[in-house]
Amino acid sequence: MLMVLAPTMMLLPMIWLCSSAHLWTSALAHSMAIALISLSWLCLPMEAGWSSLNTFVATDPLSTPLLVLTCWLLPLMILASQNHMAKEPINRQRTYISLLVSLQIFLVLAFGATEMIMFYIMFEATLIPTLIIITRWGNQTERLNAGIYFLFYTLAGSLPLLVALLLLQNSTGSLSFLTTQFFPPLQLHTEASKFWWAGCLLAFLVKMPLYGAHLWLPKAHVEAPIAGSMVLAAVLLKLGGYGMMRIIIILDPLTKQLSYPFIILALWGVVMTGSICLRQTDLKSLIAYSSVSHMGLVAAGILIQTPWGLTGALILMIAHGLTSSALFCLANTNYERTHSRTMLLARGLQMILPLLATWWFLFTLANLALPPLPNLMGELMIITSLFNWSNWTLLLTGAGTLITASYSLHMFLTTQRGPVTSPVVAIEPTHTREHLLMVLHLLPLLLLVLKPTLIWGWTL
Amino acid sequence: MHLTTMVLSSSLLTIFSILILPVLGTLNPSPPGSLWATNSVKTAVKVAFFVSLLPLFIFLNEGVEAIMTNWEWMNTLMFNINISFKFDLYSIVFTPVALYVTWSILEFASWYMHDDPNMNRFFKYLLIFLIAMIVLVTANNMFQLFIGWEGVGIMSFLLIGWWFGRADANTAALQAVVYNRVGDIGLILAMAWMAVNLNSWDMQQLFSMTTNQDMTLPLLGLVLAATGKSAQFGLHPWLPSAMEGPTPVSALLHSSTMVVAGIFLLIRLNPLMDNNPLVLSTCLCLGALTTVFTATCALTQNDIKKIIAFSTSSQLGLMMVTIGLNQPQLAFLHICTHAFFKAMLFLCSGSIIHSLNDEQDIRKMGGLHHLLPFTSSCLTIGSLALTGTPFLAGFFSKDAIIEALNTSYLNAWALVLTLVATSFTAVYSLRVVFFVSMGHPRFNPISPINENNLTVMNPIKRLAWGSILAGLLITANISPLKTPLMTMPFVLKMAALTVTIVGLLMALELASLASQQFKIKPASAPHHFSNMLGFYPSVVHRLAPKTNLVLGQLIANQTIDQTWLEKTGPKMTASVNLPLISSTSNLQQGVIKTYFLMFFFTMILAVLILVI
Repeated sequence: MLMVLAPTMMLLPMIWLCSSAHLWTSALAHSMAIALISLSWLCLPMEAGWSSLNTFVATDPLSTPLLVLTCWLLPLMILASQNHMAKEPINRQRTYISLLVSLQIFLVLAFGATEMIMFYIMFEATLIPTLIIITRWGNQTERLNAGIYFLFYTLAGSLPLLVALLLLQNSTGSLSFLTTQFFPPLQLHTEASKFWWAGCLLAFLVKMPLYGAHLWLPKAHVEAPIAGSMVLAAVLLKLGGYGMMRIIIILDPLTKQLSYPFIILALWGVVMTGSICLRQTDLKSLIAYSSVSHMGLVAAGILIQTPWGLTGALILMIAHGLTSSALFCLANTNYERTHSRTMLLARGLQMILPLLATWWFLFTLANLALPPLPNLMGELMIITSLFNWSNWTLLLTGAGTLITASYSLHMFLTTQRGPVTSPVVAIEPTHTREHLLMVLHLLPLLLLVLKPTLIWGWTL
Repeated sequence: MHLTTMVLSSSLLTIFSILILPVLGTLNPSPPGSLWATNSVKTAVKVAFFVSLLPLFIFLNEGVEAIMTNWEWMNTLMFNINISFKFDLYSIVFTPVALYVTWSILEFASWYMHDDPNMNRFFKYLLIFLIAMIVLVTANNMFQLFIGWEGVGIMSFLLIGWWFGRADANTAALQAVVYNRVGDIGLILAMAWMAVNLNSWDMQQLFSMTTNQDMTLPLLGLVLAATGKSAQFGLHPWLPSAMEGPTPVSALLHSSTMVVAGIFLLIRLNPLMDNNPLVLSTCLCLGALTTVFTATCALTQNDIKKIIAFSTSSQLGLMMVTIGLNQPQLAFLHICTHAFFKAMLFLCSGSIIHSLNDEQDIRKMGGLHHLLPFTSSCLTIGSLALTGTPFLAGFFSKDAIIEALNTSYLNAWALVLTLVATSFTAVYSLRVVFFVSMGHPRFNPISPINENNLTVMNPIKRLAWGSILAGLLITANISPLKTPLMTMPFVLKMAALTVTIVGLLMALELASLASQQFKIKPASAPHHFSNMLGFYPSVVHRLAPKTNLVLGQLIANQTIDQTWLEKTGPKMTASVNLPLISSTSNLQQGVIKTYFLMFFFTMILAVLILVI
């Protein structure tokens, strides 16, 4: 674990000490090296449970894919931000990269934590750099509003979690993830224990976000700069899913009844947010709402608590992380050229940027879950486990897949196909950097097709 | 390993590698030359066809079937998904047919698309389309089948929307995917049910474990899947819209790939529905409805490609009827024979359209028998094969199907509808031939008419031989799995021919009446019904998206998100707190004099009260 953490911390002095000419390249090379080192976690024996254990952090089959995803994303964020940060003063560039790096440190500690309270602290700590990134480097004045929404939704959700964790510490004497399955069964018969149950899950459901508590997400996504959107969609939302999977083990007897309304709400959210996507004019907002829709499926898969559901949720989290991050990058390439997020203003881009249209197409397909991409494996497993719970859920999940396909292709057709609109006739050509960025998103997705068991989680 | 099975599996792998090689070649950053399409892709398909003959001959000789399982792909709690291929009657016979037809279509496309700057990409798409179809056909588990299933769907999206500058092409492409997605829900339902109840997606395990299960729900899912993919009634409008694609795409889409995938799924999984009368009669009625409805629509279309498209839809309905009769092998036979003449009809229409300067309206054709003798002869052969003229390809499958239908004890209503559709086939086929090749020319006198090109003649010629001989060759070499009924009354035996001839005579009569103004005001209501496709697209294509979009805008976005969730949540918190905040802060504005004055007055007042 330190093999990754120590170099990541050393990134900070490197960013501030290296010459301004080499800032981006060296940060990129360094973070890419870290990402490659992190891949070695996938080689650890998965069946054994916890590995690379030390006092505070460890990895297990559930956290490994998310840790690797976190490390993989940092170089991509640096790569994506390079262009729009180029005009800023050099110290602000350094600050920006430092924030991204600190975010990675917090995330690695959060996903690796073996103690719930440490997980909680790191979970909260990720808010700080993200908030600064959104409110300082966002593009419009609405970014301040978005920052407030982001902060207050997440905080309001997660304060009950702190109380709930303290109560748990009081009754069991331990908050270690390593021993959760050996806890004596909790006596949860009172009405108050239902509130405790809700307190444990609310933070994660808001973070996911569950439909109903999702308003912060489109705002934060739309207003954040590209790296902020990427990390939000790819990793920060997954903190919610990861936390839920960890904590749901100790909530056992209560979840059976209490989770039903949440499952229904999540599935209803899949359909509703999908329908909202059909009416979006704003490209980034569309992708953000599609994230809500996919994460609704993840939430339902986790709450159903079968091995298939949990596995499907983990697969979908990883696959969606890569896909939505790539879609945000693509939206950003459009934004950097047309300076507008409105889809109708930049149409027929296939004529001008044909290779970019290929990337758009591939990631649209990933978003609508084309077999055999991991997106489909995840969705199919979640749909199956929900179908096992109740046959009627297929109406909602089926409608969800139909709507997902419709809005994904609508997005592709509107931006790439059709006649060229006049504002985009004279735009700059694509950079190799942008293509590299897309390849680095696509490559893990395609390689996971060949060995999906890497992200299979516990049910290996 | 047994020698025969080794030959089967290695020849399949050879076919796959031959086909994938050109696709991988395009990953090379330097663009391929202009001859890449013909040299590389067409040759690959041709070679693959000849390779695929080897397992076919072995199969015909020894009747051997095999299953090949390569590597364990993923595994969740005893649930294995392997890469596994199946060689049985269906995959071994279908693969050469698909390759043969595609080979001809590719050769034709090299002429039809020769002025397209992206011809190489077009060929690559066609090739991937074919590969996806072969994956679907040879799959031995549901997941692999699903890969091929979605693969053909997405490739059809790209190919139908080939001319992506046109709004119509984009709409048609989107329509195809959305209708197919509705069907996919059914396939997902069936797969989820199988995973839950049978814990396997492998075909042989599905077949062996379902003997005592009530399979109605997953089977209805499969029927829905086939309805979407094979454009059965209810989900049919995407198929005629798919004519927006280039003609070679229509030919490939409608003959051997994509649209037959749905029927193929039901044939492949037929052992599951063998003794489920509810599902079988659903198929029967759905198929009968489709075949008569689309045949009716075909009667009054004026676009030559649309007529052929509707005839495909009608034939797919006939195949569905056959599934409903529980005769999967006959349905498969019809898929194979249909592939030849339908591909040829499309290629002929492509040649005609090209010769008449992209004119598709049959009212503006005529007399082409003199100007395009080869094409119009083949068009006639194709139409005759389609109507089931004795001893052409269509006869062997169609006549057998109708005999099986006549001698069954099933739904008489479905039987009548199918017979009506059969006679309609004769009507619209004659109408095409009558308008296109007979009579006097009605087109622009300076049309670039020229069919004397080997890349036009050869593929059509090959398919013409196929349309003449394929039925005989296939039926002569394949032993039927189910005992066909050999004896029946003379009337039933001749029913198919009789209705076809009646249809033909009626069509001739109508054709001769058409030039005379027999009635001052013709009855236009049935004509409008047929010409407007039963008003189905006008109603459904408006209603369903509008409902959904209104739901998205009014309810999901405005009512719930912006009003309930935002106004009563964060915004209300802000607005409720605002008066408190402003009143406390308004009190404290740093106006020291006033504060002191107030303080002074209140003190005076207090002192006065105390003193007095």
